[in-house]
Amino acid sequence: MATIADLRQKVSETQPEPAAEMTRELLADGFDPMEILEQGVMSGLNDVGTRFAARKAIVLDLVRAGVTAKKCIPLIEAALPRGETPKNKKKIVLGTLLSQHNIGKNLVGTLLSIGGFDVVDMGEKNTPWDFYEIAEKNDADMIAVSVVFAPALEKFSELLRLLDEMEVRTKYPVIVGGGVTTQQWADEQGADGWGAQAKDGVDLARKLLDVSG
Amino acid sequence: MGKLLWEAIHRSGTGQIMSEETFETEFFPNLLEEIRKRHQIEADPDEPVMTDPDVADAVFRAGLDYLLEVGLYCKDTKRIVRFTEEEIREAIATARRTLSFGSGRDAFTISPRAPGDEQHPYTWFPAGALTKNVELYKLHAMSAMQEPTCDGVIPIPLLGVGELKNILDTPTQTVVCQTEARIMNEAASWAGKPGLFFGIPMSAMTPLALMSTFGPGMYTKENCTLPVQILQDMRINYDRFNLAFFADQHGIEPWMSSSPSLYGYLTGPEQGAIEIIAHTLGMLAYSGGSLTQAMCMSIHGTYVGNDISWCNSAAALAAERNLGLPWVCFGSTGTPGSAFSEEAWYETALAGINACISGMEALWLAGGSTGIECRFAGEIARAAARLSPEEGVSIIKQIRSIEYAPTPAPQSLGKLYDLETLQPKQELIDQYRKFTRIFRDFGLDYPTWREA
Repeated sequence: MATIADLRQKVSETQPEPAAEMTRELLADGFDPMEILEQGVMSGLNDVGTRFAARKAIVLDLVRAGVTAKKCIPLIEAALPRGETPKNKKKIVLGTLLSQHNIGKNLVGTLLSIGGFDVVDMGEKNTPWDFYEIAEKNDADMIAVSVVFAPALEKFSELLRLLDEMEVRTKYPVIVGGGVTTQQWADEQGADGWGAQAKDGVDLARKLLDVSG
Repeated sequence: MGKLLWEAIHRSGTGQIMSEETFETEFFPNLLEEIRKRHQIEADPDEPVMTDPDVADAVFRAGLDYLLEVGLYCKDTKRIVRFTEEEIREAIATARRTLSFGSGRDAFTISPRAPGDEQHPYTWFPAGALTKNVELYKLHAMSAMQEPTCDGVIPIPLLGVGELKNILDTPTQTVVCQTEARIMNEAASWAGKPGLFFGIPMSAMTPLALMSTFGPGMYTKENCTLPVQILQDMRINYDRFNLAFFADQHGIEPWMSSSPSLYGYLTGPEQGAIEIIAHTLGMLAYSGGSLTQAMCMSIHGTYVGNDISWCNSAAALAAERNLGLPWVCFGSTGTPGSAFSEEAWYETALAGINACISGMEALWLAGGSTGIECRFAGEIARAAARLSPEEGVSIIKQIRSIEYAPTPAPQSLGKLYDLETLQPKQELIDQYRKFTRIFRDFGLDYPTWREA
């Protein structure tokens, strides 16, 4: 019988189909979906990230780990008991600024949804104006931005300036994360929060929107 | 340019369709590794330079297979452009091996050179600085151009003109790049080299801005080339075709460029070398170019290390033996504030020696180098030209055994040079003398080093 540690290994080895199959098996065996997500999929992803930091993996491994996670996460989401986490009525607009990367952004979206937030996923390649417009149209409570490549760094400060100019800056707490960002950079830009990992997005949202966990 | 440009355009609309995610996560990485294994190409981590002719030929054949089997992925249509071996062989057979650049007394002709040839690799220095201050930019350019070993320059991107920022996709980028071209001409005239070769426009990225820098008082087909470089990991887009066509229509030499990132989607220097050859053959097909700039870097942000120099030398030797195209490699480390960085001086020399023994035709020095560092690089390229691969590898291994002192903080040009006379200050001259002595001790010689 497969274990969650086995799933972690499959994700770490970036094997999409075997990992998805094992996810199905674990769910059928009655393992807690949240535990499968956090201890299996997320931990496996973290393992690849750790190997990359130690220069024992390449970017392609990170991308393939993301593809593997994408195969598993929808299965887990579908298995989460409806209403297990009560919706908190807080709406968060989430998207990637400029680039087409979406692995981190999708993970944040999944975890925010699981955490009871209503997530409006704007997808990828968004401009500052897109964030403003979609937040306004959806009457959002917060904006979450994924910044994954260097040219988007400047665009993030442009987004904050735009919100200022449109006189909605105080209406939307803005949190940011992504490969090229740091706590110091986020502080310097005036972001309301920065997350190093996907799960940090949920903690920041709970704190900034005053939602109990 | 040849008929293959039109074929490439046609095939970009009819070739195999594939999502970019599939192409980059499965298709090309799997095939590349299969091809590397098929040709049994393995780098020795302890060897800084690849000098084995048989391995060089295997790298060439692997690069050709890689292009034929994977093709070029067109980002605009999501389709794969493939060529036949016959088409590529014809493109190789008809490629120009000898090119002339510059004009008047500053003109030079690049011809194929083999390891150990008397002809040194031409040395192209960085001109300008990362700034919006055009006066400072010009002073930097002049300091490099005045050096006797300056065979040409490659501009540093100009960040703006005073308060006008260089903004992508707007006319400001055109204005800034045109200013770059005008400053290059002014600085070259000041240095007494009005016919100098300026490499490629560097302050612009879009075809429109790049094309707009060719005109009276700016860049010309004699003093500059137009980049038609392939995109990362076997990718192209319509911009490549537009640039190649413009170059052809105006008689401008295309600048073919391949700069793979090791440890991104490539597992190591073997795959990097194979990809450089495949990129070159792909560019040869769609642009009909000849001048090739080829060098790898690591995604961890470094241009130094045995893996980097192995990759660059393997690709260069493969090309020297099978293509004979004018081949340009990076000639230094890209270290900011290099004037008093031991690593920068040693690694610049290492890159120069590597170029000589790998059969390269030219060296491009990184930005951040002052004129006197450029002088040293030019002298190394001349002093090392006739080294045999064995002699060169021996010096390189001695360099690699040195533990470099930590790199000090960068200093401004005003601290390093007397800006009235544009001559290096004594401390910098002492640094230069120190390294000329070190390399004399390694057995290299250059006429001006003898007084050291």
